[in-house]
Amino acid sequence: MLANPAPGPAGRSTHPGRTNVGALAPAASALLGVALLTGCSSGITESVSTAVKDSSSAVATARIALRQDMAGKLTRAATSTTLDDGLKELQSSRSTVLKLSPVTTVDRGTQRQALDALDQCAAGFATARAALAAGDGGTPSLADGDKALADAQDVLKQLESTVASP
Amino acid sequence: MKRLLRVALGILTAIGGFVDIGDLVTNAVVGSRFGLSLVWVVALGVLGICLFANMSGRVAAASGRATFEVIRERLGARAGLANLAASFLINLMTVTAEIGGVALALQLASSVYYLLWIPVAALAVWLVVWRVRFSIMENVTGLLGLTLVIFAVALFLLKPDWGSLAGQLTPAVPEQETVWTYSYYAIALFGAAMTPYEVFFFSSGAVEEGWTVKDLLQERINVLVGFPLGGLLSVSIAACAAVVLLPAGISVTSLSQVILPVAEGAGKIGLALVLLGIVAATFGAALETTLSSGYTLAQFFGWSWGKFRRPAEAARFHLSMIVCLLAGIAVLATGVDPVLVTEYSVVFSAIALPLTYLPILIVANDPQYMREHVNGRVVNALGMVYLVIILVASIAAIPLMIVTGAGA
Amino acid sequence: MTAQPGPLRPAPKVAGRILDAQLHLLDRQVLDHDGVPVTTVDDLELAGPAVDDAIEPGTPAPVLSALLTGPVLGTRVFGGRPPSSRLIRIPWKDVAEVGVVVRLGVSGESLDAGWVERWVRDKIIARIPGGRHDPR
Repeated sequence: MLANPAPGPAGRSTHPGRTNVGALAPAASALLGVALLTGCSSGITESVSTAVKDSSSAVATARIALRQDMAGKLTRAATSTTLDDGLKELQSSRSTVLKLSPVTTVDRGTQRQALDALDQCAAGFATARAALAAGDGGTPSLADGDKALADAQDVLKQLESTVASP
Repeated sequence: MKRLLRVALGILTAIGGFVDIGDLVTNAVVGSRFGLSLVWVVALGVLGICLFANMSGRVAAASGRATFEVIRERLGARAGLANLAASFLINLMTVTAEIGGVALALQLASSVYYLLWIPVAALAVWLVVWRVRFSIMENVTGLLGLTLVIFAVALFLLKPDWGSLAGQLTPAVPEQETVWTYSYYAIALFGAAMTPYEVFFFSSGAVEEGWTVKDLLQERINVLVGFPLGGLLSVSIAACAAVVLLPAGISVTSLSQVILPVAEGAGKIGLALVLLGIVAATFGAALETTLSSGYTLAQFFGWSWGKFRRPAEAARFHLSMIVCLLAGIAVLATGVDPVLVTEYSVVFSAIALPLTYLPILIVANDPQYMREHVNGRVVNALGMVYLVIILVASIAAIPLMIVTGAGA
Repeated sequence: MTAQPGPLRPAPKVAGRILDAQLHLLDRQVLDHDGVPVTTVDDLELAGPAVDDAIEPGTPAPVLSALLTGPVLGTRVFGGRPPSSRLIRIPWKDVAEVGVVVRLGVSGESLDAGWVERWVRDKIIARIPGGRHDPR
């Protein structure tokens, strides 16, 4: 014999007076979140320096990969995948910088400088990938690719220092 | 002799099966950005997973039931359903990340674009789940995953400055990072080490292999020896990144960067071994997470489940896994970066940890299921401490994700 | 205004076990005669006076008539009740033993509750090559 019957569907008790207060809380926290997020971005220097950091990481990775390929430590497949991954990273940084809306002349100059530096990086990647496709002893050589990337890396370092100390 | 071989096999499989794409990516990212200053989190996570995997294995061996079956019985339908929903979704994210990881590693090996490998990888996962016997599946992927020890070998071959490496072990925020990103990645690393699916898989696997109380000692050895050694593997991944990538100012965003230190130290042979290891480890993890999705659904709804049954005798179990794999393929086909999916999946795993671990702690203390094998006082004390840590990590995860922009 | 009811007579003694529906029956795994899982108990059906009817003195106590499964889980968690014709029942007379799991005395093949499993098996899984292969 059963002690209690099956628990039936629980009646949903409504508290009409509570709904107004309940609706305010999520709205308030949303506003706070928006304020927090917008407060975090301070002009375009933040975004540009992030883009520069990501791109120099990609360029440094590509240089290591090329060096290892020249030393016979990396297969062609792995090197080309590494370069492709680096290029993708670079392209996403470039599109972030492109989408910025600078207001002051200084900011516009920074954006232009950043785009030029990133274009040079992209050119370096192109040389490196062409070198990889050309194979051993072709032109451009892997060393040429490395040189192009090294030059791009220097430009990025210069840009980093100008952005850091405006 | 045969007994010794079995013990060795158990330990080796546990080591090789410990690392998955979450560990690979998170440890490499952390090593390249924070050096070794977050290694203490790996130690904390390894101890935690040893504790809870042991507990859930004991639940399965003592009661003959897998953990999720008992969650619904002990916590009721409502709490069980909430638990199921969260665990299942995060599991699905992890399946997606693992299949993506297999595809990325195959791209590194072959130069064929990873999107083309995804259906191949998913089909291979399904075929193994469909046909291959449980113990064979575990042993082969576990042993092949051992090749990831090349990370430790490469670390030695790189001849790092051991003194300065050891100096990095102190928990301190490096100057180019903030305390917020440090905390965020601590949580991510914790979630990567204490993966929730591991517990479901472990206890259901115990039922699959028919463990009884007699096997508890073997299981304890597997966990207490195998998992810490697996944790050492994770640390060596971070150390390799710290030695090669950190000084070059590289922060890891793709799988190709993870393997560069191995190629640096061990050349093409090292490269071949690490790619084999990554494919084996992520494939094994894909199998485990896919099976976990099936286990959790089937055990909650009371369906017939198990690889020890004919697929025809566990129809809904197998159908749900097929649907999961198709969902994973669909998500990856959108072109989302698998590494990004991985980074999110470890953080969401950390968020879901309380849901997974609290029920295990409750069940492991229930004499109706455990009879005389209930938790001892030490285990319970440790379990309570970990519950607090897990809750803190889970609550802090989303605010930190917002503040740091997911670790950027 | 009803008159104050007198003190209740003590409950008649029963032979057999006393079970708590929530603790021992609900959410328990149901295994069939061969130990194959059928479903979990999602809800219980009681035969006897309806909820809002007045109970005459001398009315026999409600009797558990069936274990319920299927969509009734949704209504149990979120509220509501499916119409009687839509309930998937496992008649109580099929239950052989109640312990940590509920064991039936019949095979799952003949049960309504196994319908979805049989459908998925026949229409989907059995059509995939190797579906009936024994893994051991």
